[in-house]
Amino acid sequence: MKKKSARKKKTSLREKIVSQRLQAEKEFHRKHPHAKEFFEKKGLKLENVRQHSSKLLAAGTLAGGLLLTSPQLSVPSAKLPYDWVKVLTDAGLVSPKDSPNFLAIRLKEVLPKITCPLDPEVERQISFLVEKLSGIRVRASLEGERLLTCYGLIGAEQHLPRFLGDTVSQHDEWRESGITPGRGAWGYFVKNKNELSNEDILREKYYVAVQTLYLPDWEKRQPFLRDWYQYRKVMAINPQNGQAVVAVIADAGPAAWTGKQFGGSPEVMVSLGLHQGMRKGPVLLFFVDDPENKVPLGPVDFDSSFMPKITVAESSRKAI
Amino acid sequence: MSRIFYDHLIILNSLELKITDLGLGPEEKEALNQLVEETVHFRLMTRILDSLPREHHEEFLDFFHQAPHEERLLKYLQEKIEDIEDIIKKEIEDLEKSLLLEI
Repeated sequence: MKKKSARKKKTSLREKIVSQRLQAEKEFHRKHPHAKEFFEKKGLKLENVRQHSSKLLAAGTLAGGLLLTSPQLSVPSAKLPYDWVKVLTDAGLVSPKDSPNFLAIRLKEVLPKITCPLDPEVERQISFLVEKLSGIRVRASLEGERLLTCYGLIGAEQHLPRFLGDTVSQHDEWRESGITPGRGAWGYFVKNKNELSNEDILREKYYVAVQTLYLPDWEKRQPFLRDWYQYRKVMAINPQNGQAVVAVIADAGPAAWTGKQFGGSPEVMVSLGLHQGMRKGPVLLFFVDDPENKVPLGPVDFDSSFMPKITVAESSRKAI
Repeated sequence: MSRIFYDHLIILNSLELKITDLGLGPEEKEALNQLVEETVHFRLMTRILDSLPREHHEEFLDFFHQAPHEERLLKYLQEKIEDIEDIIKKEIEDLEKSLLLEI
């Protein structure tokens, strides 16, 4: 009976969405035929405008030649603030008293107010600072792969079922967040409960969802990309408070229309200090360069980093 | 990054939860999300053009085609339409209401 009701609900919502979709297009064509004609001439389908935007951004088009008058561009300056240069070059090894706060103050200097793709030079500078503070090597681009953005909005996700039959009561923390009825984009973590290792448990605890489906080459480069992204280690940083967490990519999403670019497990959101209120906020997301799998998953403890912090080489000083 | 200048005004949290609750497989969920995505673009473009004086339509469409992600598009609309942000938000609210009604 319950199953039947769920099926009916599914059909009902799907039918409504399909109906609204058709109605919306019809209304647009009826009221604004000149706009329909305009897009046809340009070879752009309005329903695919996000892919169009993605291609433009990937090509680095900033539309600087538009007739719009404001000189403000959405991409920040690539120049490293003086304060950073001083810290990075004079101190050599960065160990401030309050690393998260130190990081947050400096990130505010270079990040735009609204999340957007960053200038590659800014990405490099942030990676450098994070690496010096945490001892963890992070990269916006790793082995030639990169996300559509490393600066976006993250929203709270539910727990993921780790195996068929997994329930929220079997997860040890943040049960109130619930569990997704369906499996993640990469399926279950293990086939059954008996196979569940400590590593699998940690992977589910500290997971993020990223928009792999919107990568321009996602379909063309299968199964390579799927394998490359599955459980890929990343560091998420809340630029507002400097709190950071190392997690793995274990799901795809969120949908583009949500306005978010990333999703975070309950534990990830807590680690970032984003588990209350809107449970959403800006984050930086970088790949962790960890070929030997030494960096543990979980909140980054800047003060007792397990890896030696990196000293600034003469060549790096010149580079900045 | 796939980004449209009005993305930050789209808040469909209840719909997002409803779709999650359906427990769909990844492919089915993606297909449904794509339909919502398309509906949003058609409805918002219709409402923006409804509110924008006709003499600015070509200019706006041209800007939009060149850089749909450009946040200055919103500034452009703000100069020409009073409360454009509220108009966009209202359109999204209406869409969500109509989808979730009696579910």
